[in-house]
Formats: sequence, structure tokens, C-alpha cells
Amino acid sequence: MRLGLLIGKTVLAFAGFMAVFPLAWTALNSLKNNVDIITRVPRLVFTPTLANISYIVGRDSVMTGLYNSVIACGVAVLIGVVLGLPAAYSVARYPNRWAGDIQFFVLSLRFLPPVAVAIPLMVIWLQLGLYDTLAALIVTYSLLTISVIMWLAIPAFQAVPKEVEEAAFVDGYGAYSVFWRIALPVAARSLIGAVAFSFVLVWNEFLIALMLSSSNAKTLPIVASELSQQGMNVPWGILNASVVLLSLPPLLFLSVLSGFLNSVFRQNKT
Amino acid sequence: MPRRSSLPVTFIVPTLIILLVLSMVPTLYAIIIALQNRELSSTAYSYVWFSNFYDLFFDRRFLNAVWVSVKWEFVTVIATMVVAIGLGVLMFEVASPRMRNVYCLLFIIPVLLPRVSAAFVWKFAYHPLYGIATYPYRLITGGLIFDPLSKPSTALFAVASVDVWQWGLFFAVIVLKLLETLPPQPIEAARLDHAKRWQIHAYVTLPMLKAPVVSLMFVKMIESLRSFDLIYVMTRGGPGVATETLDMYAFSQGFIESGKVSYASAMAVLMMIATVITFTMLWKRVQA
Repeated sequence: MRLGLLIGKTVLAFAGFMAVFPLAWTALNSLKNNVDIITRVPRLVFTPTLANISYIVGRDSVMTGLYNSVIACGVAVLIGVVLGLPAAYSVARYPNRWAGDIQFFVLSLRFLPPVAVAIPLMVIWLQLGLYDTLAALIVTYSLLTISVIMWLAIPAFQAVPKEVEEAAFVDGYGAYSVFWRIALPVAARSLIGAVAFSFVLVWNEFLIALMLSSSNAKTLPIVASELSQQGMNVPWGILNASVVLLSLPPLLFLSVLSGFLNSVFRQNKT
Repeated sequence: MPRRSSLPVTFIVPTLIILLVLSMVPTLYAIIIALQNRELSSTAYSYVWFSNFYDLFFDRRFLNAVWVSVKWEFVTVIATMVVAIGLGVLMFEVASPRMRNVYCLLFIIPVLLPRVSAAFVWKFAYHPLYGIATYPYRLITGGLIFDPLSKPSTALFAVASVDVWQWGLFFAVIVLKLLETLPPQPIEAARLDHAKRWQIHAYVTLPMLKAPVVSLMFVKMIESLRSFDLIYVMTRGGPGVATETLDMYAFSQGFIESGKVSYASAMAVLMMIATVITFTMLWKRVQA
């Protein structure tokens, strides 16, 4: 039995190592000169350089991509919050005979293959003269953020104790102020997780951005993927630096999302 | 709720209308385009009705793409669930509460990465000459070259491994949290009956968790369909057509090779019909 325990712990430790090592290696490579990356034997000791990072940060296309990503994702998430949270609350607290169908409809939006949405949208935006604009991207992403936020916020609102809200009604609060002053604050922790999750989803989105932008509205994932196609002399260090830059924003939400998972499962327990 | 109010109407109707418009307009338009003969290079078009769909059934690359997509679904969903349940149970059995938290945090990192990032990270790692993942092979064989991404027999699995790296580890965290919510009595009863640890999980805990695990699998089936970015960055559907899934083929028909937008849309519409029917049926069954 002790041997089994030892093997189990080793397997787990290896899995933990595998989870972060590839990314850590990439981060390390972003600090290397090309000669230290292109080696038959991986090199751990090297003279670090900031050249790759400063090249990335100084490039217009990367900065435009970063700006586009921040604006498109930020505004789409904001729209998702404004439209999704109230709708989720109303499904959770005012059940009617369509509640189940509404939930299924919202989920079913996830089934739509992105290509099936992106092709017609490209034609539509072209005809409207909005192709390759941030506005087109934001509208398209809103579909994603509204549905994801709704899907995750419905259980979060359901978990708010009904008694608290009823007590507020007895105190003379109206339906809207119960939402504002009671339900939103009480569910806040789970709601922030849901919003962060929707941000990560649109930040990581690639296919729709690829098809709906050609030059002006390119987001960071598109710019990063284009860097890799620069001729025969692959600038490995620069590429690694751009991967690190692209990965940082979602990783900032790591603690928010793990807290979200914990609160979801604690609710199930009680 | 104690009183009647306008809240449900004002809160849900605008959102639903916007969602309906945003989803129905592209969906209907996708079908309309699929019935035409639009191309990227010209603005002229006419209705050709079902001839795009008819052509698809004689397109061997399309049939290959269907097959690759089916393989991809099976490989990624099964491998993800195996990794998730294996590591989840392992954490439950051998890790102290503190280590569990550490592992949970580590295992969430890969899924947070943009798929483009994950694809790059592993594309380097699989590099035949300089990659960190192929280094052990070079070390053991004294410098032989192993290039998993450009061999037709291994490319799909090499890309799938990245998908499993992202989702399997993440789902392991969820499996652990599910195990932690179970009541301890049945496990203790099984222990008193001298059940082995694996028996406890195979016959007691996992059957208790059947419903949430099936839901997890359902989520993974949907997410596996969104593998375009991974494949686009890592192999572009190659070598040959070994990793060309339906969305990859639709994209290259519509935008890279020939600009046949309508043909690509016909493919997308077939995909849409197949997924909506399959998942609706599965969902009703999961809920029942």
C-alpha cells in the first residue's frame, strides 16, 4: 500500500509539472537569444535578453492587436453583463413555463459551429460596410458573452437564499431594488467568476476574429498567429514573447476562476 | 415571489430578442448562402439550390474531413475523461488538502491559455530538432529525428494531446470537487467491507457521480467541435489531409484555396444540422 501511495504521488507530481512546464519553458525562451533556443540539447543556463520582449512591445501591429482585443472583449463583456445578468435573474427568480426552454435555447447557442456563424456574418458585415471594424466584432462577441453569462448566472442567482429576498420585500423594497441591493451583492462572488469566464472565452476566440477582420480590427491572437509565418528564418524568441503576452490577461483571472469553482461546489454541498 | 411586477418582462424580453436576432440572422443567412453560388472574388451570384450539398457527397476531401472530425471527437472526449477521472481520483486518494489546492491551481492554468498560445507552446515542444518534448527521444536514440506533427499517423494524436492537456487537467479539478461533495458514509461502509480503493471508486463513488460526469462529457463534446484554432496553428490540416476537420476544410474552401463561400457555407450548414440534432437528443436524454 505504501508503494501504491508513492507511485500515486509521483504520477500527480508529474501531472502538476506537465501542467506548467511547457508554458514556463516558453516564458524562458522569450528571454533567450535565437542561438540559445536553436540547440539540440535544451539550454537552461543562458545570458538573458529583453530584446524579444521590447521588440514585441514596440511593434505597432502587436499594440494595435492588444488595443483591439481589450476594446472588443471589454465592450462585449460589458454588454453581456448589462443584458445577461438581469435576464438570468428573471429566469432564476420568476419561473414561468418557458424557463426550461429559455435555458436550453441559451445553451444551444454553444452548439452552433463557429464557421456556420462566421461565414454569413462576413457577408452581412461586408454588405453593411462594417467588415473589419471593431463594431462588427463586438456585436458578434456579444452573442457569446450574453449567452455564457446567462448560463452561469442563473444557478448563481438561484443559490441566493429566497428568505433574504422575501425579507426585503416585507421591508417594502420593490422588485428592482431587491435585484440591485440584495440579489446582486449576495451573488457577487459567483457572478464575477461568470463574467471573468466569459472574458477569457472571447479573449481566446480565434476563428471569428480571423474571418471578420483583415487589417484594422485584428485581435491579438490573430497578430500572434501571423508572426509565426514570417519566412524561413523563424524568430523563435519573438514568437515566444508574443505567446507570453497573449497568455497573460487570462492568467490574471486564475484566482478569480478558482474561487468561482470553489463557491459553485460549496453551494452544491449544502 | 410575493408580488406581481414588471421586472420579468423588462429584464428578459430585450435580452431574448437580441439573442434571437443575433443567432437567427446568421443561421438563416448561412442557409441562404448555401443555396447560392457565391464566391469571394465576385459579387454576382444566383440560386443553385441543392447543388452544393449534392457536390459534397462526391467530394472525397469532404468525406475525409467528416471522418477526421469523428475521430477527433472520439479521441479527445475519451482521453479527456480518462485523464480527468484518473487524476481526480488520484488527488482524492493521495493528496493532502493543501496539495489538492496547489494541484487545482496548476491544473486550471492550461485551460485558461488561449488555444493559439497552447498550440504554439506545443508546436515548439514537438519541434523535431529543438523541441523540449522530443528531446527525450533524441537523447535516448542518440539524435534520431521524431517529428510527430508531420507524420500522418501521429499528427492527429499530437494535436489531440494538446486538447487533452488543456481540458483533461481542468476536468480533473472538477472531478475532485465532485468527489469532495459526496457524503462519506457509503465510502466508509465499503471500506469496512474490505473493498480495495479502486473498487470503492469503480462501484461506489463514480456511479454516484454518473449524472455530473455525463454532463461534463457533454460539455467536452461541444468544446471538442471548436478545435479550429489548435489545428490551424499546429498543422493547418496537414500533413496532407490527416488533420483536416470539417471546420478546417470549410475555412480553406471558403477563404484560402478557392473562395467558394457558398460551398463552405453548405458544409457549415450540414455541420450545424448534425450538431443541433445530436446535442438536442443527448441533452434531452441527460436531463431525463
